[in-house]
Amino acid sequence: MRDDLSRHAAVLQGAGFILALLVAWEITSALGWLRPHSFPPPSRIAQGAWELAVRGFPEGVRVWTHALATLRRIFSGFVLAMVLAIPSGILIGASQTLDRLTHPVITFARSVATLSLLPLVIVWFGTGELSKTLLIAYGCFWVMLSNVIAGVKYVDPTLIRAARTMDTPGSEIFTRIVLPAALPRIFAGARTALGVGFMVIVGAEMIGTIEGLGALIMEARTFYRTDVTIVGMMLLGVMGVVFAIGMEALERRLLPWHRGLSEVRR
Amino acid sequence: MTGNAMPKIEVLRVSKHFGAASSAPVLSGVDLACAENEFVCLLGRSGCGKTTLLNIIAGLVPPSSGEVRVDGERVTGPGRGKGMVFQQNALFPWLSARSNVEFGARRSGLEKQAARRIAEELLELVGLREYGERYPGQLSGGMQQRVAIARALALDPQILLMDEPFGALDEITRLDMQAELLRVWSSRRKTVVFVTHSIMEALMLGDRVAVMGGGGIASIHDVAKDRPRSRSDPAVIRLHDEIWQGLH
Repeated sequence: MRDDLSRHAAVLQGAGFILALLVAWEITSALGWLRPHSFPPPSRIAQGAWELAVRGFPEGVRVWTHALATLRRIFSGFVLAMVLAIPSGILIGASQTLDRLTHPVITFARSVATLSLLPLVIVWFGTGELSKTLLIAYGCFWVMLSNVIAGVKYVDPTLIRAARTMDTPGSEIFTRIVLPAALPRIFAGARTALGVGFMVIVGAEMIGTIEGLGALIMEARTFYRTDVTIVGMMLLGVMGVVFAIGMEALERRLLPWHRGLSEVRR
Repeated sequence: MTGNAMPKIEVLRVSKHFGAASSAPVLSGVDLACAENEFVCLLGRSGCGKTTLLNIIAGLVPPSSGEVRVDGERVTGPGRGKGMVFQQNALFPWLSARSNVEFGARRSGLEKQAARRIAEELLELVGLREYGERYPGQLSGGMQQRVAIARALALDPQILLMDEPFGALDEITRLDMQAELLRVWSSRRKTVVFVTHSIMEALMLGDRVAVMGGGGIASIHDVAKDRPRSRSDPAVIRLHDEIWQGLH
């Protein structure tokens, strides 16, 4: 009860602070301290948002189209990465030899900034949807892969010993002990990977499309519409937050035991 | 076989060194025999090899030389006949307390229904009947160890191996758990090998206390006292002093 109250108070304080910042921003713009073209005041940004919702930017491509296109690309890239990374990560994590062999490659591939692949991807796969999906999948894949491997590899050995003292056969130790024990780490990997997807998308949408929030942001820059750029940026942020919260809710549902664990250990 | 003379567990000239064969052995030529239903405590400082010896008896770690026999048969690996309780966090955190115990019961070959019944029974025995639905992370350290004991008992083993099971608990909980263990043990007789670094704990629990040091068993002390024992019993205090002196 008291916790609820203080949480509400914290939310209110946070909202109040943001509001105060917005008001200060508006006032400094009105006084001419900030140049409205570079730092559009909140009222101007709101106008931009309205224009995006009603007329679209470029004309006819409304904000929903942009958001949907972006979501579709992130989603397909993310799912592709999951489908590939989970089984291969489990395989690599379970085998010391595979782990040794692949470790340098994975470390290297992870360190390559995803967007630096953009020119190559265009040469190989053109400027269509496939290239965008693959770029996002690339970014998500390596993050996910290393987390799945670590999850499988670093299972608490006591759990395995406990299962062995109960005469559990090797195959069951893997399916009934190692995999469930690795799930929290796998989930953490998926969360991080989704975050990477949201980072890569802007770059992936810089080419060959006028749909998508990334495209919107770049297009608005060409027309010096900073207000529209900021709206696109904020939408991406909001979507990222919504998805992060969704993933957390999903994790609480699927791994209720894990939340209990962290509450006690905290 | 005559039955009465044969020890339940025999440790025969067991040596163990980790890494290169030239490295100093953790155990060298250890001999130990435990009678059926006997409660033996392995006592020693950290790093004296007591946990290694327990793991070898469990069959989790192979000895470098020598062997362990249970009922005259050489131990080649872990098995249902030997239940084990670890120091902490060995419960499966994704299973409820009851499912953890059921896991043990299922491994002993029981059908789902029977396993469920045994699990309920054992949770009741360790005083956690109402906590069956909780996950280990939602239980206190002492409760977790009770579940761990129940899970080991669910295998219906003849031998219970305990590796400092109360070592991570606070002193008060620890004393409660010692009494609890004796209560459980009196209703389910097992041969127990109990590793501890607490002299008093060993004296409260064991029929015999094997003091380890220098890669082997330095001395063995009979505690010929009925349980529950008192910490202030003159015989207990005398043994405490004796063991303490021996450790220096």
